[in-house]
Amino acid sequence: MASTRTSTFVLPGDRLDPASLPSHPTLPLKLGPGLRHIPPNTITPTVAGQLCTDKRKNAVWVEFNGGRYIPTTGDLVIATIQNSAVDIFYASVSDYAPKATLPQLSFEGATKKTRPQLSFGALVYARVTHANKHMDPELECVSQSTGKSEGLGPLTGGMVFDISLGMARRLMLPKPVEQGALVILDELGGQGVAFEIAVGRNGKVWVNSNSVKGTIAIGRAIQETDEKALKIEEQRKLAKKVAREI
Amino acid sequence: MPREVEPSVNERQFFEKALAENLRLDGRAFDQFRDLELSFGDEFGVADVRLGKTRIHTNISAEVTTPYPDKPFDGLFTITTELSPMTSPHYETSRPSDPEILLSRILEKNLRRSQALDTESLCLIAGHKVWSVRADVHILSHDGNLIDASCISVLAALQHFRKPDTSSEGENVTVYTLEERDPVPLSLLHFPYCVTFSFYPSTVEEGETVILLDSTLLEEQLREGSATIGINKDGELCQIAKLGGISVDAVAFLGCVQVALARVKEISTFVIKRLAEDAKKRDKGDLMAELRAENDR
Amino acid sequence: MVASKEPSVLLSHLHRADGSATFSQNGYTVIGAVNGPIEVPRRHELPEEAVIEVLVRPAAGVGGTRERHLESILHSTLRQIILVHNFPRHLIQVTLQITNTPENKNTGSKVVQAGSHLAILPALLQTAVLALLSASMPLATILTSVSIAIHADGKSRKLITHPSLKEFESASSVHIMAFTSHGEPLVVESQGTFTLEDWEEVFETVKALCHAEHNRIDDNAMQGVDGKGNMLEFVKSAMGEKVAQDLHWHT
Repeated sequence: MASTRTSTFVLPGDRLDPASLPSHPTLPLKLGPGLRHIPPNTITPTVAGQLCTDKRKNAVWVEFNGGRYIPTTGDLVIATIQNSAVDIFYASVSDYAPKATLPQLSFEGATKKTRPQLSFGALVYARVTHANKHMDPELECVSQSTGKSEGLGPLTGGMVFDISLGMARRLMLPKPVEQGALVILDELGGQGVAFEIAVGRNGKVWVNSNSVKGTIAIGRAIQETDEKALKIEEQRKLAKKVAREI
Repeated sequence: MPREVEPSVNERQFFEKALAENLRLDGRAFDQFRDLELSFGDEFGVADVRLGKTRIHTNISAEVTTPYPDKPFDGLFTITTELSPMTSPHYETSRPSDPEILLSRILEKNLRRSQALDTESLCLIAGHKVWSVRADVHILSHDGNLIDASCISVLAALQHFRKPDTSSEGENVTVYTLEERDPVPLSLLHFPYCVTFSFYPSTVEEGETVILLDSTLLEEQLREGSATIGINKDGELCQIAKLGGISVDAVAFLGCVQVALARVKEISTFVIKRLAEDAKKRDKGDLMAELRAENDR
Repeated sequence: MVASKEPSVLLSHLHRADGSATFSQNGYTVIGAVNGPIEVPRRHELPEEAVIEVLVRPAAGVGGTRERHLESILHSTLRQIILVHNFPRHLIQVTLQITNTPENKNTGSKVVQAGSHLAILPALLQTAVLALLSASMPLATILTSVSIAIHADGKSRKLITHPSLKEFESASSVHIMAFTSHGEPLVVESQGTFTLEDWEEVFETVKALCHAEHNRIDDNAMQGVDGKGNMLEFVKSAMGEKVAQDLHWHT
């Protein structure tokens, strides 16, 4: 994805210079998060952040960190099951927000006779299928096209840690090292630490390894990289320190 | 109203496994407190306490009022602790929730009933005019252990506060403004700080209950009992509150009292040090202001 | 201690709130926290937009009528700038805790001059806006606010921006105004005795301090005014710093 990172800092309501917006002969302009369209011709930011453009896809959006996760279709999230009703589970995606629904048949290999048994407090890795402002969000734990879970479904064991939304986005970039300046996980792996993780776009990361101490250390390393805004060199040093402790 | 969020099964099970291996989620020892930070405001009687991510702001104010008819020689001292949506979205201001009621009861027992603040010293004219001292405790951020942090913040703010100087002739009381006469500190008899212990079921059979100090919010949500001990640095107990929860061996509990005493001594020294630093800063600031005033003249 | 007229802010420092800001100016310090969009009880929900809840808590004591008045001004103002139609049937909570007010010489009594409770309105508005920005709450525009006191004695009049408590109390009229970044007024509160010319001069002065285009100190409208400081520039630089810090990884 060839995107030009402009360092244009924008605030809500700013008037954007039309020259800063990309143009394309055939594709319509795609508006990403942080922007709104006021007909007929005005595009204005709604949050404080950096304006980014992608000439190839003719897209423009605002990059920002912070705040509360707003469910968006296609995102992968870590949700907590709260209760169940006929044919559906209710799961919490972010604290105090309305609960999302997760059909009991949206799991790999689930039929009317063999439903997954998930109790209160169980964690699942799910994809958001429906999210619009008028309805409660909907999730699924299976890929619609293949019928396989593709990594989604219940998460057993391990521990879940809170991270900022910006960190979750960095972890889920196609190339975290180049695009997100994130080397901590690669370095830990390089130091021989064995672990598995699942990253939820709603600001949660699930970590599992073969020792309690290891899981705590890895989770805290990710949180420290996030809270202290560690640069690449500092992340390398942290990874070495963590690997020594385990 | 949005309900309180509960920890997931994974967090609960992981926490138990960690306890079994003598580990805490943030790497502390079981009896280790988080870093304590205390700062004061520009005005007298404003204290800001940070204990990890828990943050408490206390404001002391005083006004002249009439005493209760059945206690003509005593001033008034009230402590209010209102949890607001700033602490957590599910706290409503109109309806006090259980943790809020517990917090205000414990602070009341610990600080008011123990006469930490000498209410007789607040009397101006018996039966007619007394000082009413008010402590407003604002919980800005909740990451566990609100009781200990609130107690430190109220006591630190009380020690920091200065009430206006007064003189009385017969029935009349003159209250001097800050410019006319320097304000005077409150009369505090002793400093009973609180230490809260969290209890968890033993991880081995027939083993001892696990005890943690200074629990974070997650640790509080997963605990099965707690006890708060209010004690001053001279070893005088003011209150013990263990409201139900799992049982603790009596000898272990006495051990907790000893731990509380040691901790309270540390806290007392720390608070006194911070107060001294603040006093020195004020003196220097006042001196500079005076010198500047001299130049203006 | 003379309160500084220069504003200062600390952003996103409360870890449980979705957005937070501690703002200080002129002796007033307010801590603001924003939560949302979150669930709202059925009986309060609105079908097409989000419900906004504003809570103002004083430093000492529990809130009373003055706080409710401030809350109602804040509520109707914030409803204009928050994009409430993005979140129907949700709740946005804004909590503002006052922690510091300029020294009141009469500390023995709880006397508050009638009308002087509006003096804290600019600080409350600014804290709310900064906390909303910190929470990345979608906004239509941002808001900045300034208070002005007029000391008039017959012939001449003197405008003081961000007046101190003494200047506020001895003024013949006080005005609190708030403008969007495009120069549209959203809050216009005035108290005291003043002429239409007085009001217009105040209007133009505040607009200049809150607006993007006129931020040169040698502008004609600024004559007779002390205290510099374009509030919009302040918000831009504070948020610019935060965004640069948050997106340090963004090459």
